[in-house]
Parts: sequence; C-alpha cells; structure tokens
Amino acid sequence: MDIVCCPLDKSELELEAIRRDDDEVLEGRLVCTECSEEYPIEDGIPNLLPPDMREA
Amino acid sequence: MSDLADQRGMETAVYQPAEDSKLLADVAVESVDGSDRVLDVGTGSGYVAGRIASATAASVVASDVNPHACRQARDNAREETIPLDVVRGDCTRPFDAETFDAVTFNPPYLPRDEAAERDDWMERALTGGETGREVIESFLDDVARVLTSDGVVFLLVSTLTDIEAVAGYAADRSLAAETAREESFPFERLAVLRITEEH
Repeated sequence: MDIVCCPLDKSELELEAIRRDDDEVLEGRLVCTECSEEYPIEDGIPNLLPPDMREA
Repeated sequence: MSDLADQRGMETAVYQPAEDSKLLADVAVESVDGSDRVLDVGTGSGYVAGRIASATAASVVASDVNPHACRQARDNAREETIPLDVVRGDCTRPFDAETFDAVTFNPPYLPRDEAAERDDWMERALTGGETGREVIESFLDDVARVLTSDGVVFLLVSTLTDIEAVAGYAADRSLAAETAREESFPFERLAVLRITEEH
C-alpha cells in the first residue's frame, strides 16, 4: 500500500516486514523516514494513529 | 454461551450497517468509476467499502479509528473475497496527498446525550461531541488534501446534525456541498452531501 504516509508530518514510510502471507505483510512496522516514529502492522492492519491516539 | 457473549461484545464494539450506510453506499456505487481509487472513512463493519468494491472495479481502502471495526471490516471482506485494504487511522490523516477520486464517510453525527453516555467504541461510532459535528469538522479540515483535482466526497449527514451548519463549515474551507440524495425517517431526514473543491 503505497498511499499511506506519516500522520504527523506526511513523510514517506519505510516498510519493515516481520511476517508475510503471499503479497501481504501480516506483521511488521512502518517507520517514518523523517521523524522515525514507528507504526505497527498487526494481522495485516497498519495502525497509523498518531501516538497520542493509540490508547485502547 | 461464550459464543453469544462474544457476539454481544462485537455488537457493542462495531456499528453495524443501517439505513444511513445503505443510502451512502447506493449513492457512491452509482458515481464511482472502475478506474477510481476510493477511501471509506469510519468504515465500521466495512459495509460501504465492500459495496463499492464489489459493485465497481474501483480500488478501495477502508479506515477506522476503532481496532475492532478494522478487524471486522477485514474479516468480512475476506469472507466475501472482496479485495479491501484496511488501515487504522484518524480520518484522512495517514494518507498521501491527491490520492483518492472519491472519499465516503458515514460519520458519528448524534449530539452527545449525557444521560446515555457509555464511553465505549459504540458511543464513538455514534456521537460527534456536543454539536454532533466535531468528527465531521475534523474530517472536513483535512479531506481536500487527499482528493485528486476532480475528486468527490460523499458525506452522510442528518437533520439532527444541522445540515446547513455542515455545508457552511465546508464552504469556509473552500468546499462546495450539494445534496445528492435524501430520505426521511421518523425522527430525522438523512442526506448524502456531494462535496467538491471550489476551483
């Protein structure tokens, strides 16, 4: 999915895959190339909420 | 027993499609082109996103702030073998600029009722703060950024939300809103606003 960006500064994200299934990343993280904030991918769903909204 | 309890747990966590979702999906399906890229914000169970993806060849992305909704939308799409990417995020904020030909949103729009306050995911799926417009306004603050130059927003609103106030807020952000379709129900009238950038 090359249409997502860092929700904080809109910079590009770098994908680090931990577990893949066919053409999909199931576990991994997206790391902002600008601010280095890390966004987890769990069960194929990237969590791109800014850190202060990640509770729950 | 535990299955039923799980089921009940699901129902309090994720908004299930209702008349408003159907109205929004009907309008979007008619307007979306097979070559479009579409974002469904606040996807909930994934109903609107799924309808668009299965009725058109458009490439559809669904997002929700609620992790239970994200999982349910993904599971439902997989079950029906509908291609759908799901992202957990706040409205359009984690998406690149000038990306979507259409953005759909059935937002939380009821004004807060303190007597009925529950402080759970369902409350967040239903209520948009004191005015009912807080989430809609937050959405309108950023949506133009992710639209292509002739991109379109389909926003579900209710008379309970004050449709004129929503259109006024959009106009202040150089967005033109017109009613694409409306339907009356016992306690409210629902409308799908078609919102475009003023050029």
